[in-house]
Amino acid sequence: MAQPTDTVNKEKTQKRILMATVLSFAFFIAYDFLYLQPKQELVNQANAQNAVTMEKKNIGTTGTNSAPAVNANSAPVTKTTAASNQAPEMVTTSKIIATIETLKNTIEIDNLGRIHQVTLKEKQYTTEDGERIKLFNLNQLKPLEVRFADRKINEEAFNIAVISSSSKVDATKNITELTLTQILKETTLVKTLKFYPNGHYDISVTSTNNADFFITPGFRPDVLADMYADHGAMLVLNDGTLNIIEDEDMENTVEFVGINAASAFDRYYASVLYNYNTSMAISVMKDSEDSPNVFIHGKNSISLSGYAGPKEYKTLHALDERLTSVIEYGWFTFIAKPMFILLQFMHDYVGNWGWTIVFVTILIKLVLFPLSHKGMVSMNKLKELSPKVKALQEKYKGDKQKASMHMMELYKKEGANPMGGCLPIILQIPVFFAIYRVLLNSIELKGAEWILWIQDLGVMDPYFILPIAMGATMFLQQKITPNTMADPMQQKIFQLLPVVFTFFFLWFPAGLTLYWFINNLFTIAQQYYVNTIFKNARIARHEKHEEEKNHNKTK
Amino acid sequence: MKQIILYLITFYQKYLTVISFGSCRYHPTCSSYAKVQFENNNIFYAFFFTILRILKCNPLFPGGFDYVKVKCPAKNQLNLKFKKIKVKYWKVPVKNNYCLILQHNTTWDT
Repeated sequence: MAQPTDTVNKEKTQKRILMATVLSFAFFIAYDFLYLQPKQELVNQANAQNAVTMEKKNIGTTGTNSAPAVNANSAPVTKTTAASNQAPEMVTTSKIIATIETLKNTIEIDNLGRIHQVTLKEKQYTTEDGERIKLFNLNQLKPLEVRFADRKINEEAFNIAVISSSSKVDATKNITELTLTQILKETTLVKTLKFYPNGHYDISVTSTNNADFFITPGFRPDVLADMYADHGAMLVLNDGTLNIIEDEDMENTVEFVGINAASAFDRYYASVLYNYNTSMAISVMKDSEDSPNVFIHGKNSISLSGYAGPKEYKTLHALDERLTSVIEYGWFTFIAKPMFILLQFMHDYVGNWGWTIVFVTILIKLVLFPLSHKGMVSMNKLKELSPKVKALQEKYKGDKQKASMHMMELYKKEGANPMGGCLPIILQIPVFFAIYRVLLNSIELKGAEWILWIQDLGVMDPYFILPIAMGATMFLQQKITPNTMADPMQQKIFQLLPVVFTFFFLWFPAGLTLYWFINNLFTIAQQYYVNTIFKNARIARHEKHEEEKNHNKTK
Repeated sequence: MKQIILYLITFYQKYLTVISFGSCRYHPTCSSYAKVQFENNNIFYAFFFTILRILKCNPLFPGGFDYVKVKCPAKNQLNLKFKKIKVKYWKVPVKNNYCLILQHNTTWDT
């Protein structure tokens, strides 16, 4: 009686697992096509529309421009009323009053003393059409915009042009200063900027008559903001913790104190204002799309450093070691960052990111070698016990639990355990995600090529060669691994795994598939090596046995 | 909290074990061990022992039998009314007033 129900149950589970796999695939594919892609299109459309409305605005309508409000005694920032300090947008199109050339970028300052645009000079930062990358969307909040707490002053400030100490600044060789002065009825605002050849700047802003003001790192660069990586604003607290506010995710204005760095970022680029000597107070307001606009409370004087450009590890590290925390890898930062540093270190010697991934994979494999080797040896040992295992399985056919218990006993007696254990598998997961995040978020790996057809390790393999190779090696690996699986259903699922994985990997970044593929290759090599050792030992034993037989015969 | 964790473990056992299939070096497996821990132990202890167990589940440790161990229930907590109950766990006393927890097997019912 027990036998039929058992098989029915098995079939049920099998079906359920198949269903789950199919459903999860369907979900991912549907999510990609129905949600991510239309959303992307919507964003594009919205951008186009924005541009149109902006043009209209320039013709005559007034926009809204509010500064976060503070209470009169200018203590830490307090409540903000939504409608406070509406200031008309400059109705004329912004005029460029100063252009700064550094080794890394060209910075343009407009007639309100804001950074109008940053154009990256280095060769690797070009668009597909070969044009230099421009960081900012001109319709958004511009970096270094100042807003006054006092409504009247604020309104006036948006209508009076700033005077620049010079219109052309050459900071390619030396640190060069630029002063921007804005004379208003009640106060005079002076921005002193020091541009460094490496593209970053120091800024100090002062206002006379105690006029409270705010300054912003601007809206995030708008080069690549997609659904695959975070974009928005990030605040670095003075205890080192990060606070990330994602785009289109804000409900109310939020206030922070004890901030060392404020960054507005997309996938690869950021505009950062930082000061690691004193802490800043910050208000984060939402814009019309619920995206964060960061305002640093300047009181009547503030000194900061600023950087707008790629989130390149070495560049940021050179500015301030602590500034590297603005490169974020999500939950897995704790492992992704060391992983990146290891990759970068290897890359300095290897010179190609694809080969770097290959070498790092081998390195990880070598570190884990003692673990995996021991597992393989004991697995082979057990293969020699297989008649005993089979007997056990026959004996406890109906009772899985009992069978597994007796198996454990047998392992113990023979001092071998065939299983690799849960830990090695669990360890794989963070390594895997770390590489995934590094591939997604590191500008260094953007457009990194490997050999032949792989032009960009950060996106999927266009010809699906790597995923298929990965599936094939996985299949092969299963084939040569002695397997002690008793249940035919389990075995079937196990055999299905390479197919499932190949499917999953089809759309994964090529670099990740490369990692998995190399990993499989080396597992196969290792397994093959262990297998041959055991085989030779068996043959040797057999020959000895034969020899003895012959010996006895001749006697 | 406990409920959420138990639900997650059950979900893992149902759908995700395929990935780590039959890799555990212990009896009971890591996931069933975790389940028993969370059902029978203080949540902090449960976390601690589960993590310990997973860390030990690699080829450098021998593996084998490793049951959940808890303080034995006090006398007044014992089921002494001799009513018919559905057995889920057996607490088997070992040394020092500690009990091992064995999962009940339905084939034992007859």
